[in-house]
Amino acid sequence: MSSEDSVKQPQTQLSPQEEQEKLLDEALQVVKVQSFQMKRCLDKTKLMDGLKHASNMLSELRTSMLTPKSYYELYMAISDELRHLEIYLCDEFQKGRKVADLYELVQYAGNIIPRLYLLITVGVVYIKSNESCRKDILKDLVEMCRGVQHPLRGLFLRNYLLQMTRNSLPDCPPNENPEPVKEGEVEIRSGDIKDSIDFILLNFAEMNKLWVRMQHQGHTRDREKREKERQELRILVGTNLVRLSQLEEVNILRYQKLVLPGILEQVVSCKDAIAQEYLMECIIQVFPDEFHLQTLNPFLRSCAELHASVNVKNIIIALVDRLALFAHRDDGPGIPNDIQLFDIFSQQVATVTQARQDMPTEDIVSLQVSLINLALKCYPEKIQYVDKVLETTVQIFNKLNLEQFLENSSAVSKELSRLLKIPIDSYNNVLTVLELKHFAPLFEYFDYDSRKNMSIYVVNNCLENGTEIPMAEQTDQILQLVSSLVQDQADQPQEEPDPEDFSEEQNLMGRFMSLLNSDNPDQQYMILNSARKHFGNGGNKRIKFTLPPLVFSAFRLAFRYKEMSEEDDKWEKKCQKIFQFCHQTISALIKAEYSELPLRLFLQGALACGEVSFENYETVAYEFMSQAFSLYEDEISDSKAQLAAITLIIATFERMSCFGEENHEPLRTQCALAASKLLKKPDQCRGVSICSHLFWSGKTREGEGTEMNGEASPERGEPKELQDGKRVMECLKKGLRIANQCMDKSVQVQLFIEILNRYIFFYEKGNEAVNVQVLNQLIEKIREDLPELDSSEEMDQINKHFQNTIEHLRLRQTSPESEGPSYQGLEI
Amino acid sequence: MSFFGFGTTADIDVVLDGSQTRKYVEHKTEDGRKEKYPLYYDGETVAGKVSVSLSKAGSKLEHQGIKIEFIGQIELYYDRGNHHEFISLVKELARPGVLTQSTSFDFEFINVEKPYESYTGANVKLRYFLRVTIVRRLTDITKEMDIVVHTLSTYPEVNNSLKMEVGIEDCLHIEFEYNKQKYHLKDVIVGKIYFLLVRIKIKHMELAIIKRETTGTGPNIYNENETVAKYEIMDGAPVRGESIPIRLFLAGYDLTPTMRDINKKFSVRYYLNLVLVDEEERRYFKQQEIVLWRKADRVRTGGQADESTAWGRDYQA
Repeated sequence: MSSEDSVKQPQTQLSPQEEQEKLLDEALQVVKVQSFQMKRCLDKTKLMDGLKHASNMLSELRTSMLTPKSYYELYMAISDELRHLEIYLCDEFQKGRKVADLYELVQYAGNIIPRLYLLITVGVVYIKSNESCRKDILKDLVEMCRGVQHPLRGLFLRNYLLQMTRNSLPDCPPNENPEPVKEGEVEIRSGDIKDSIDFILLNFAEMNKLWVRMQHQGHTRDREKREKERQELRILVGTNLVRLSQLEEVNILRYQKLVLPGILEQVVSCKDAIAQEYLMECIIQVFPDEFHLQTLNPFLRSCAELHASVNVKNIIIALVDRLALFAHRDDGPGIPNDIQLFDIFSQQVATVTQARQDMPTEDIVSLQVSLINLALKCYPEKIQYVDKVLETTVQIFNKLNLEQFLENSSAVSKELSRLLKIPIDSYNNVLTVLELKHFAPLFEYFDYDSRKNMSIYVVNNCLENGTEIPMAEQTDQILQLVSSLVQDQADQPQEEPDPEDFSEEQNLMGRFMSLLNSDNPDQQYMILNSARKHFGNGGNKRIKFTLPPLVFSAFRLAFRYKEMSEEDDKWEKKCQKIFQFCHQTISALIKAEYSELPLRLFLQGALACGEVSFENYETVAYEFMSQAFSLYEDEISDSKAQLAAITLIIATFERMSCFGEENHEPLRTQCALAASKLLKKPDQCRGVSICSHLFWSGKTREGEGTEMNGEASPERGEPKELQDGKRVMECLKKGLRIANQCMDKSVQVQLFIEILNRYIFFYEKGNEAVNVQVLNQLIEKIREDLPELDSSEEMDQINKHFQNTIEHLRLRQTSPESEGPSYQGLEI
Repeated sequence: MSFFGFGTTADIDVVLDGSQTRKYVEHKTEDGRKEKYPLYYDGETVAGKVSVSLSKAGSKLEHQGIKIEFIGQIELYYDRGNHHEFISLVKELARPGVLTQSTSFDFEFINVEKPYESYTGANVKLRYFLRVTIVRRLTDITKEMDIVVHTLSTYPEVNNSLKMEVGIEDCLHIEFEYNKQKYHLKDVIVGKIYFLLVRIKIKHMELAIIKRETTGTGPNIYNENETVAKYEIMDGAPVRGESIPIRLFLAGYDLTPTMRDINKKFSVRYYLNLVLVDEEERRYFKQQEIVLWRKADRVRTGGQADESTAWGRDYQA
């Protein structure tokens, strides 16, 4: 070493890390050499020389140059080597060597670090070889360690003490009636559990003091680094608690009377945030839940006394989580009945909050979060506990006198959201949540964004769990709760919401509608009314999403009444009301300047009406149809939309069977008229062609009160298809005429083929006005025109359509269906 | 042997009574080595046998008388010429005559007073020895044999603990306590240091045993301090309220009893020096005299204790 020193020159500067590695390497090298020498001497049973080398090796631990991490590595290497010494000494003493002398002997070492490491090593061997003085030796060791006041070195030394004694601590109950020591006898002082507790508690207190002291050493600018280093070392202090928890004789009583008070006193009095936070959590983690249950009050009381910057909430939360888990464990006894867990926590949390005036609101709320968790996990059946927590939270906010809503991004808002989400997630039943009286009021503290997010959360939960809302009152409550999704809010931002987000939200509400469901139809009606009230105020943008499902739900309700018509003699009146309700609701959409949507709803309504067939249903259905027509006429101007709309109207009308001729005639005429009035020729052609179906499969009820088969007839006649072949032909011919007027040849041919298909359809349906000749003519016409067209992708499709049509005909010709018409004479 | 060629010479050998059973102890010689010497106590009879063997068989040895002296003397190194004998006893073994064959003489100094402890220090040496002299005309034949004397004390009647509060104003206040003021040589110093105020950054603390040998008188007093033991008792910086234990086994160190004003020639005193060293290597210390005394040995078991003390010393070095 010295020669190395002498040649040391100003070298290139090493980085701090390299410097550390170098120092550690050097130290480890010494350890290697000295431990080798030590073992060699021990092999030759030269104990004294062995001890001398052990001491040289241990002297490396006197360094102040190493970081905690490097020091730890060095310590580990050395304590490994000391094992050899320990084993050797144990063997020696078993062979009968005197221990007491050695215990004195190692104390001649001039330097305290090697001296104490050796003393511990020998002391433990001493205890192992002879338990009768265990008590005194343990006490002596833990006291002598006071000589090392350097935090890092002291921590490791005491850690060594703790490691070495781990299997040698007395773990038996105290002898209550010791026999008096007779003269000439040596009192056996092997100690009992109380000695072990004292021993560890003292060591713990000293280690903690050293650990805390680290915080106050060195320059303030290194604070961050120092705190990091302290965190790295905390396990050394915590090991004391682990050791206590491992003692069999530390039972609930001793834990309550001796162990916990001792620990808490040290924790509280050290006034160091890092230590307090770590140690409190440590207590929670290392001792069994049964102990915690019996010591909740002192533990939580201590929480109130901790340093202001200690995150008390984390501690309490950790405890709650443990106990909640404990309460849930299948094999566990659960929470004993005599422990009012919730009350205790509730009270102590209040005390903690009271004691810490500068505690941030979000942390106060976090504590409530932990309480609610506790209530839910330990007392899942007691809703009132959860509500109590919410009430307390309301009180907390009231006291704060907030001047504005909690900002969405603020920590408090986040915590409050967390708090509210817990009952939602845990019950997974919004109805239970609604029973919490203080749940909804807490929404009021949120700003618009948070309120909306929470509302979405509630609604999503309903949807995911398929929670049906069976009462109008509940419907009202919940829609009130999520009103930020239902109606405009006073505090919502001025700018328009992102359309995609908006439609997503509103779709959610649309889906939610399907959950408003009661088994009782009358109740269901009330639910719909309640929903209508809320959604009706949603503004033009929202109702597009929310009212249609409401209308559909109303239709479904009408069907239900119909199904149970035998049980409810007022069902027809009720259905009437329902359709009125629908009419009104659809009209609201018209007022909001929607057209296609209400048109479709009217058509759907007309269909439903027709099927429910309550008293007066024809009139109502007619009204719905006529409303659809007027929407078509007044509001739809785009030609494509017009075609689509009229197609839909015609198709709907074709399906319906509730109209008598008196109503059917004007409607179908109107359809034909509307179709022929379409602006574009191809649209006209198609519209008119579609109309043809009305005259074939359109149904009317003829002859009121007609007796059909002797039985008492229904009020109206059975529906009957018109099957007016002539009118059908007229329509199609008109279509051909219009097609002829088309300028675009390819469109024209396309239309011809479409009409050909309709001819074939009706021919096969048995319309006698259609014959093979007509078909031949049209086919010929198409064949003439087709080759004239320029080839294009569109043309290919048209061609294909035609080919398929011909192919169909050919198939029918070669293998006619038994009941189908004959295709004789068809020229393919 | 005989450079002068005057005939016959003789070898003198002294064998002490009971030399097989007597205890031998190590004692430092002037050149710092350690040798074993027979151990005597105050008042103990020193007896034995002197053998004079003629170098050549059949020769004669003429002499003016043979005597044996028991001498206790103090040598001051700066005054080598003057030995101060505080005891000098003489026994005549033979009247002048001629020895024609090897002869033995019994001798006995009964209940010799040996008031002081044998001591070899830095500047002074106190020794006891036997000297046999065959007086002749030209050159006497002499033989010296050293013995070692230990002075035993009984337990001091008053032996209070040593307790004191010391400090530097607004900087450092400590209270220390040693369990006794008087320790026997195999004793243990037990004590503690209590920190009342700490405003300096202490690096470590040690306890030293200082031996102060004072020789001379009046203006010629000469003090020699030697640090016999240096023992680290604390590593690192304590805070207010810490109490640091002290336990120092004396057996491991080379100590003598405290000697006060031995024959008005010298004193050996011991001090405990508590030293605190701060991070700038400044030393703060407090010295307290302790009195060391020798206790009669209990019957000890075997040589192990000796081995341990030996090791302890090596270990110190």
